[in-house]
Amino acid sequence: MKSKNNPSLVVERYTITDRIAHTVHAVAMLVLIITGLKIYTGWDFMSFHSARGLHMIAVPFLLAVNWILIPYNIFSEGHGIFGKISHFTDHYIFGPKDATRLGGIIKNFFRKGRYPAYSIYDEEKGHYETKLHPLMKILIVLEGTAIFLIAVSGIVLYKLDWSLFGLPIASWILSAGDIIAPIFGMGSLQFLRALHLLLTYWFVFELVVHVGILEFDPHVWKYYKAIFWSGKEDLSDTHYSEFVEKYSRFDAKEHKH
Amino acid sequence: MSTGIKNLVRTLDSVDFLKMDRRTFMKALGAMGAATFLGTYKSDIVSALDFAETKLVWLHGSECTGCSESVLNAGNPDLVQALQKLNVNLVFHETICAQQGIWNDGKLVNNAELNSEVLLEDTYKQGGYILVVEGSIPNGPDGSGRYLVIGNKTFKESLAEAAKNAVAIVAVGACAAYGGITSADSEVAKDTDYRGVAFAKEDPTKGMLKELGIDKPVINIPGCPAHPDWVLLTLGAVILGKIKIPNDLDTLLDNYGRPKVFYPPDHTVHDNCPRRGYYDRGELDEEVGGPGCLWKLGCKAPYAHADCGIRRWNGSVSMCTQAGGPCIACVEPNFPDGSRPLYVEAEDKGVLLGANIDTVSKVAVGAAAVAAGVHAVRRMGKGE
Repeated sequence: MKSKNNPSLVVERYTITDRIAHTVHAVAMLVLIITGLKIYTGWDFMSFHSARGLHMIAVPFLLAVNWILIPYNIFSEGHGIFGKISHFTDHYIFGPKDATRLGGIIKNFFRKGRYPAYSIYDEEKGHYETKLHPLMKILIVLEGTAIFLIAVSGIVLYKLDWSLFGLPIASWILSAGDIIAPIFGMGSLQFLRALHLLLTYWFVFELVVHVGILEFDPHVWKYYKAIFWSGKEDLSDTHYSEFVEKYSRFDAKEHKH
Repeated sequence: MSTGIKNLVRTLDSVDFLKMDRRTFMKALGAMGAATFLGTYKSDIVSALDFAETKLVWLHGSECTGCSESVLNAGNPDLVQALQKLNVNLVFHETICAQQGIWNDGKLVNNAELNSEVLLEDTYKQGGYILVVEGSIPNGPDGSGRYLVIGNKTFKESLAEAAKNAVAIVAVGACAAYGGITSADSEVAKDTDYRGVAFAKEDPTKGMLKELGIDKPVINIPGCPAHPDWVLLTLGAVILGKIKIPNDLDTLLDNYGRPKVFYPPDHTVHDNCPRRGYYDRGELDEEVGGPGCLWKLGCKAPYAHADCGIRRWNGSVSMCTQAGGPCIACVEPNFPDGSRPLYVEAEDKGVLLGANIDTVSKVAVGAAAVAAGVHAVRRMGKGE
């Protein structure tokens, strides 16, 4: 391993657009959770109209980040269509290697073995092989799905006859709800409201898991700094990270021979 | 013209021809002779042709007659005014019409003038009437429909007979529209198998007409009871030809066959509730009798599509929430199951092993917080 002061070990973990996306997402999500719960519970720390106003202001930010900026960030990496797809799957989709890592993490919790590295940088390729905690990869897909569903249910709560370019979107959503809602003994609107509330709680749960379980560890704080500010990771700090040196694979092959 | 005929013409002159029922009309015609009658009342007949008498058959299935009572409470116009203005001949209504059916050894006796069941059967044969159905139709036991038998005829059969030649069918009240209270979940619900005319709860494939193989459009006026304005204005619109059946129905009715004008798809009762201001200020009552929003007391107004808040009830002076009663969404197709427990907030309904969303979520978030704490202590302790 190279020395701690070697600047070549400092790499860009998050681009500026990654950091903007995460920060805007975090702020918008917090605003939405707080104002949403205010609307639901009737907390009296602000007026209904202020809460609703803030809620509706935060919505386009959250959706723009999730449906425009994050896809842009994901697919601006990698070369060619297949390169972009493999970048997406390697970085964001929970795969067999992640399952192995998660198994190692669980064993480590019960004092067996080392905490496996999940942030792996390949010097030869010049980019990360993977960088998210395996649990985060599960959460990120669930989060994307939850955002889609809460947006869909939110459209109906916002306006029962909302349409876009003449397309009766809210009416379609209510009709889809008509198919599912009877399973739960509810009407469509009732089901969509309950779903909206359930997903709100999901985000609270996710926040606790994300901030608490994944990040409530002094050795992870370097990632806080990276995601909110610097965007850099110093790979000489080997907590949870691994640096695959340029010729290490070649050396390993040579060594075998 | 003989003196007798002259007297009869004079007498009939003072009679409003437009208000004659069919039998009086036929009597007059017989007494005077068609030619004389036509000559005397030519102008009236011309206007009558413009606005002909409409026959209305109002059948009762399994119900409480609350919807009829609601219609009887109508004002401006009241029921009688409405019938007169619209030149309606209310041929049959079990609780309003005086005549009743007379059977002898299981057979109808007498004639149409004395036995309303005979009149009803005559009307079925003649056709051209508007059929109003109040109450649900039991399909049980085992599809026989014998849980409701009137004069040795199941109501299921009566509906089939009545629906066949009707020019328009209007299902009044939650029971006729979707099954309502009669089809609520219970130990006997499967046996009784109550259906609405065109729907069974939300399901349009299990309405009684479908079961009977009759393909006719139905206008649903749900509610428990239905608002008199909804009933009379719908009937008025049908009678006056303002609603062309079936061409206009696609645009006039929502997915559950309700006129959008009374059951607006883009509004709920909550939007126009007189207590809405309290909701906006976050003043949510947790005990009955307060002035605030009734949501936490189980008000289902946010899920109910109806214009109660604008139209109001009892002569437009009040409505359920105004009087302190949480809305029970009686206009929705899944009423009452979708609204039960009536006085428990919808989100507090059990979703997982009897636990509601709030409880399930709080347990999950709490467990995650505890796990995060344990994990943190563990990680810090490791010092890796």
